[in-house]
Parts: sequence; C-alpha cells; structure tokens
Amino acid sequence: MNDKAQTIAAIKNYISRMPSLPIAWSKIQEISKNPRATPADLNQVISLDPVLMGRVMKLINSAYYGLNTQITSLVRAIIMLGVNTVKNLALSTAVLGGLSNKSNFQALNNDGFWRHSLCVGVAAKLIAIKRRRDPKQLEEYFVSGLLHDIGKIPLNNKLSTEYVQALALTDKEHLPLYITEERTMEVNHCEVGRLIVNNWNLGVAMEDVVFFHHFLDSYPGENRDVLLTVAAANYFANAYQIGFSGDRYPESLPPSVYEELKITRDYFDEVESKVNGEIEKAKIFLQVAHQ
Amino acid sequence: MAIRVTFWGVRGSIPTPGPTTVRYGGNTACLELRFGAQEKLIIIDAGSGIRELAGEILKKDLKKGPIDTKIFLTHTHWDHIMGFPFFTPIYMKGAKLEVYGPVSFEDEGLDSVVGGQLQYRYFPVNMGQLEADIQYIRLMELTKDLGDGIRMTTKYLNHPITVLGYRFEYQGKIFCTAYDHEPYRNIFDVPKDDPSYVEAAVTEGAQAAKEENEKVQEFFRGADLLVHDTQYTQKEYEAGKRGWGHSSFEWAIKSAHKAGVKRLILFHHDPDRSDDKLEELYGGYLAKIKGKTKMVVALAKEGETIEV
Repeated sequence: MNDKAQTIAAIKNYISRMPSLPIAWSKIQEISKNPRATPADLNQVISLDPVLMGRVMKLINSAYYGLNTQITSLVRAIIMLGVNTVKNLALSTAVLGGLSNKSNFQALNNDGFWRHSLCVGVAAKLIAIKRRRDPKQLEEYFVSGLLHDIGKIPLNNKLSTEYVQALALTDKEHLPLYITEERTMEVNHCEVGRLIVNNWNLGVAMEDVVFFHHFLDSYPGENRDVLLTVAAANYFANAYQIGFSGDRYPESLPPSVYEELKITRDYFDEVESKVNGEIEKAKIFLQVAHQ
Repeated sequence: MAIRVTFWGVRGSIPTPGPTTVRYGGNTACLELRFGAQEKLIIIDAGSGIRELAGEILKKDLKKGPIDTKIFLTHTHWDHIMGFPFFTPIYMKGAKLEVYGPVSFEDEGLDSVVGGQLQYRYFPVNMGQLEADIQYIRLMELTKDLGDGIRMTTKYLNHPITVLGYRFEYQGKIFCTAYDHEPYRNIFDVPKDDPSYVEAAVTEGAQAAKEENEKVQEFFRGADLLVHDTQYTQKEYEAGKRGWGHSSFEWAIKSAHKAGVKRLILFHHDPDRSDDKLEELYGGYLAKIKGKTKMVVALAKEGETIEV
C-alpha cells in the first residue's frame, strides 16, 4: 500500500467511529431527558452539530427504516418518525468527542470550526431564501452548508501533526488550505468529506457540495445551484472571518458565481448581521444546558 | 368471496369486559382474515381477542393438518400483543407460526418484545417451553408476495412507536388496516411569540404533514374494506388527545371518503366508550354524511364477519 492509500485507509477507519462535536453534547442529553422538550428544540440541537446531523440523517435513510424516498430534512423526519424516535436516534449517535484531544497539536478548534460550519449553513439558507428557492429545499441548503467542511474533522484529528503543517503552509505561502492539505497529506478535505457523505449515505447533492466546493469549474452535475450557493456562503464566512476553518487565504469567488446566483457582494453585508444573530442565538440555546 | 374478515377484538388500549360493552365487545385488537376457497388464514394482531380465535382455529383448521399461519402485528403496544401467550397453537408441536411486525429504534428484537411476555415473572410458562416452531420477522415498508395470489403492502403510520398499516390484495379485492394512527400534523406550528417559533420549520412542517397524510390516503386508496382507528371524537382529540397516536371519527370518515374507500370500519373503540354512547355517536355521523358519500360506514363489532 502506498502512502496515500494508507492515509485513506486510516481515515476510513476513523470515519466509522467519528464522534460528534462536544458543542451540542450536553444539550442533546438535556433534551432527551426532558419530556417537555419541543420538536423545535430537538430540530435545533441536531441542526447545530454537523456530525450529529449527518449521523441522524444516515440512520433515518438507513436500511433500518427502509423508506422509499430519501429524507434530507430533519423537520420532515421529526414529523414522520416522531419526536421520541428522533431523540433516541440522536442520543444513540451523539458520542462525545471533539476536533482533537491533543491540544498541543490542534490545528482547528471546536468553537471556530463550529461557528464556520454554522455560518455557512445559515448563509447558504439565507441566500436560497433571497433567491426564492422552493421552501421545501431550504433545509437541504442549510445541511449542505453545515456539512461542507466535514472532511476536515478526520484530517485534524487523525493526522494532527500534518494538519498543523498544512495550516502553517497556508500562512507561509498564502495558499488555500485544500492545496496545502494535498501537499502535506496527499489528500484534501473535499475527498475526505466525500468518504464521510458516502459512509453516511446522504445522497448525491450533499456529496457534490462536499466534493466540489473548491472545484466549481470542473463540476459536471445537476446540483449546481446548491453547490454555488454553499461556495458563496463559504467565501462569505472566510472573508468576514466568522468562525475559523483554517482558510486564511481562500480563493476569491469567481465573478461568474455572483452572476449565476444573481447576488452582489453588497448582499453579504446584509447577511452578516443575520448570521451573527443566528450564531449567538444558537450559542445561548446550547449554553442553557450548562446552567 | 375473496377475503373474509372476522373481528375477534375491536377495543383500544385495554380489555373492557362488562355490561356496557357487551354488544360491541371488550377484547383488544385481533382480526382473522380468510382468503379464497381454501380459507387460507392470516391473523392481524394478537390482542386479547386472539384467545377465542385460537379456539376457533383448533376446531376448524386442526383437522386439515398442523396449524401453519402468519400473524402480522401492527405494532407492539401491549393491547396488540397481550393475547399472544393465550394463543394455544404456540404450545402445539408441529404448529408453524411466523410472527411479523415493526420494531422501534433501539428496541430489542421482535422475539424479545413479543415472546418476552412469556417469562415467569409475568406468566407461568417460559418462552423456551413453547412447542411450536415460531419465527419472528421484523417488517419495514415493503410489498411482499405471500403466495396463493396474496399481495401485501405495508406503510408506516403515525403513533408514538413504529406502527405499520397493512394492505392485502387478493383476487381483485383490497383490504386495509390503518390503526393505531393519528393524522400527521405540523408539530412545529407554534404561536409566533413562542420562543421555539421558527418560520422555516413551520412552513416546511406544514408541507411535510400534508404530504405524509396524502401518502396514507394513497395507501388505502380504493380499498373494498378499510379498518381505521377512530378512538376519539374530533372534540375529544382537540381537547387533549393530540399526540396520543389515534384518529377521530371525523378524520377517518373524511380521509377514507377522499380515498374512494368502499366500506369503512370504525375501530379501536375507546375503553371508556359504552355501547350506547358508541351507537349515539355513530348515528350522529351517519346523519351527517347521509347523501354525501357512497361509502358504507360501520362500527367494528366483536364476533362479526365481513366478506369482500
């Protein structure tokens, strides 16, 4: 086995037991024990953790239920399967973990990564609302944004030394992270993200967003709208420095994306306060658990 | 006759013997289905009504050879499985039983959930002492050929645990069950000033609930006979029974009519509902729908047989 194949094998092994972010851990525990927790509470706590969201979606779409159609919306899942079932799904899969327990070698930290993921999810949904996309699809925009960088979790945790080097290289050479990932580890977070999305069985649209969000030009498929929206939201999160996902020198968004989405850069100013408001609300919601 | 359905238990929640339920019956859910001239037997649910059905089977079927049948459970709430230990074929060597049903997430297998009633703390006979060859098979949503020209389709319904509705098609006739079932509803729809109000979830929830209800209607579309949950009146439902997993008479009648059902049986009677009260309600509903639908509507009655 060559180096890259070995790296991929180690990452695949990690993905099969990947923990969720500690950010939502205590809240999901609290909600599961509280018989008065509302459907909205449940929806919110799962929506705030990319790993938990992915895992719950995986279970819902697994052979366990044998549903005929793919469910990409948590709201629908809660209505179909009921609050109790989804609570149990979430609790059973919310294994406490985090981006890394080796704090000395930590390239990304939980809070920064979480803020970035949530920011991209919320911004993608806001852009979709502005562009009057079908209300039924809004959740898919959110989830795709929330999960777009999921591939960074195994890299940061499994190859933590190399990941610190990859981040240092972005600073040194002013390069986007996905390029320095390839240089230091022969694999980028888009490829790793695709492994996760496949493992979780989250469908083609999600897979395309995760795999192509830095490779818009070479995208041949049908999920262009959600892909470009998430790419724009990702650019916004990096440019406005909301959260931190390792990309201090991201490539700028091609002008054609603004044209195709029919948005301007000014729109990001409008989005900024809304996104920050949503993140603060989420933060307060999650902190209630500690009181 | 293509399918003959006999009701051995029609009551919801708990058996209700006594003078006020003697006409419609106090046993919990159990239906006997007989298919075609060979009278092939399929049982739905193992509520307390299955005890008397067992007696009937021994009288009628045993002379044709060892008992060989399938029991389809709609779900594993107690009122739908409590008769299982009293279903005498489970004690008979040579009997072959297949028990099908859904299992809720993270629950034990169907064998523990159903057969687990047979342990000394609850019952004098242990599961290991059963002589029959019993297989437990977990079901999901599917269409299955049961042989002899019987086609079965299952559909998830809305109840606090996983429930399946059953649709049987045989010789051009359709028989369906839709219990225990509450209409899907938009549980995200809270007042705007409620702290948990999220506009996008409210919009999406409304759409999802509507579509899921349409899917249930499609599931029993065109049924010659539909047995539907009608535990509550609409007034009772709205006054505090939301989320309990049961339908109102009003909902069942409306959705069955919309789906072109030919005969609707009102089923899973509330344990507090006396015979007199049932008939009074039934009379009221009949008067309301008179001339508005071709659908025949009747109350489920223990011991009654319907052929389609």
